[in-house]
Amino acid sequence: MTEYVIIGDGISGSSAAETLREEDPESSITVITDEGEPLYNRILIKEHAKGKLPEAPISIHDEGWYEERDIDLSLNTHVTGLDTDAKTIHTHEGADISYDKLLIATGGTPTQLPVDNSDADGIHHFWTFQDARKIRESADAADEGVIVGAGLLGIDFAAVCGAQGVEGKYLMRGDRWWRYALSNEGAEIMHEGMREKGVEPVFDSGVDHFETDDDGRVVAAVDPNGDRYECDFAGVAIGLTFNTEFLGDIGLEQENGILVDEYMQTNLEDVYAAGDITRFHDVLLGERAQNGSWGSAKEQGRVAGVNMAADDEAEGFQWVSSYSITHFDFPFLSFGHPTLGDDYAERKYSDTEWRRVAFKDGKIVGGVLIGDLSPQSKFKQLMREQRVVADQKEVLLEQTVDLDNLAPPQEQ
Amino acid sequence: MATSSTTSRSLTLRRVESVDAATTVQHVDQLDEETLEAFYRALEGGRSLAATGTDLELGTVVVATDYYRVEPR
Repeated sequence: MTEYVIIGDGISGSSAAETLREEDPESSITVITDEGEPLYNRILIKEHAKGKLPEAPISIHDEGWYEERDIDLSLNTHVTGLDTDAKTIHTHEGADISYDKLLIATGGTPTQLPVDNSDADGIHHFWTFQDARKIRESADAADEGVIVGAGLLGIDFAAVCGAQGVEGKYLMRGDRWWRYALSNEGAEIMHEGMREKGVEPVFDSGVDHFETDDDGRVVAAVDPNGDRYECDFAGVAIGLTFNTEFLGDIGLEQENGILVDEYMQTNLEDVYAAGDITRFHDVLLGERAQNGSWGSAKEQGRVAGVNMAADDEAEGFQWVSSYSITHFDFPFLSFGHPTLGDDYAERKYSDTEWRRVAFKDGKIVGGVLIGDLSPQSKFKQLMREQRVVADQKEVLLEQTVDLDNLAPPQEQ
Repeated sequence: MATSSTTSRSLTLRRVESVDAATTVQHVDQLDEETLEAFYRALEGGRSLAATGTDLELGTVVVATDYYRVEPR
């Protein structure tokens, strides 16, 4: 009987466990997590923090789900070490758990700002359900908020401020939100959405330090220009630090994440990785990539499970990811890798509609759609087909995209 | 995207202001490719959800720019 051990019970770990049970019914499966609750819906916790969703719908699995599938779930358990020669992991309780095949799906932890008082009361990071509960409570009692981190995670804090009636200042280091993927025209649509929620973007700013009161509670953020922004709530989302410290020096190849091939295999025998923590070989992009979207993590977990059970390179990971922002009156969708590539095309259609398509070697590798999402499935199709279309930007930027208007694909 | 309620041959997407603890809730990013496209087309008043084929179940609330409950027509 094969022993599978999965570290992490996020969507990738849980997806792998479910797949392994289906593919190898007689096996032993253990899932270990340092969190105190089984799998929950990480992309809905922002709705709870906004005060819109109760807790119950966010839970995905209860402990009975694991029992029904004969999966051993260990909550509140920290893995403290890994011995790949003995094929054993060590936990904080002193237990040794043996494995035949191991999946690392531990994700990350929000990175703390390297400034004074960044750990003060009232300053929040947003990753777990428990974080969301605290943010909901704190924002509900707050009057003025400061948000730091001009990316996809930071904007959730802006939405929390808007929904909870907190007057927000969104301090950005550059001249616009998500400057790596959006031009000024696209970003200004997002800025206007923030303003309508009561959150004012502040550009060429950031945080030099936080000020606290005598009780150690945040009272203001001071930016590098010396401007002071009073706040009794602050949200920081400047990125993730991947949870690999516990692995120690075992020869696992890492590069801001764990390196895996398209089969989710690391360089160590019988050790796999899945989810946010991986830098995987993206077969569509032709290079290594990273992706934190729900769908990508779920699929990586499934593919890892298939290959672990097969003890073979049975199925490769190929996925076009999507990430939506649903906080405003207009929809927003990022797909693929919009910040990568060597060429792009973009156009503004109205005050709430904008489109960007990113290309590499003439092929679509990602994009951003604001306001009108109708071309998304066509662009994803072209990505999967790896069709060279960068020489036909006008067709791709038509308000209504008709793939029949593209020149027939050439032999490549 | 101003439409608050659209109908199909058998299913309706109805905008709701809140959900209770017993409701199944999904975010749009959880929908598969076909369902996502059908969902947005239904919101735009285009093709029906049911005719296109989706994996959405009755009573489920989908979180998009608003909350939409999948209801029988």
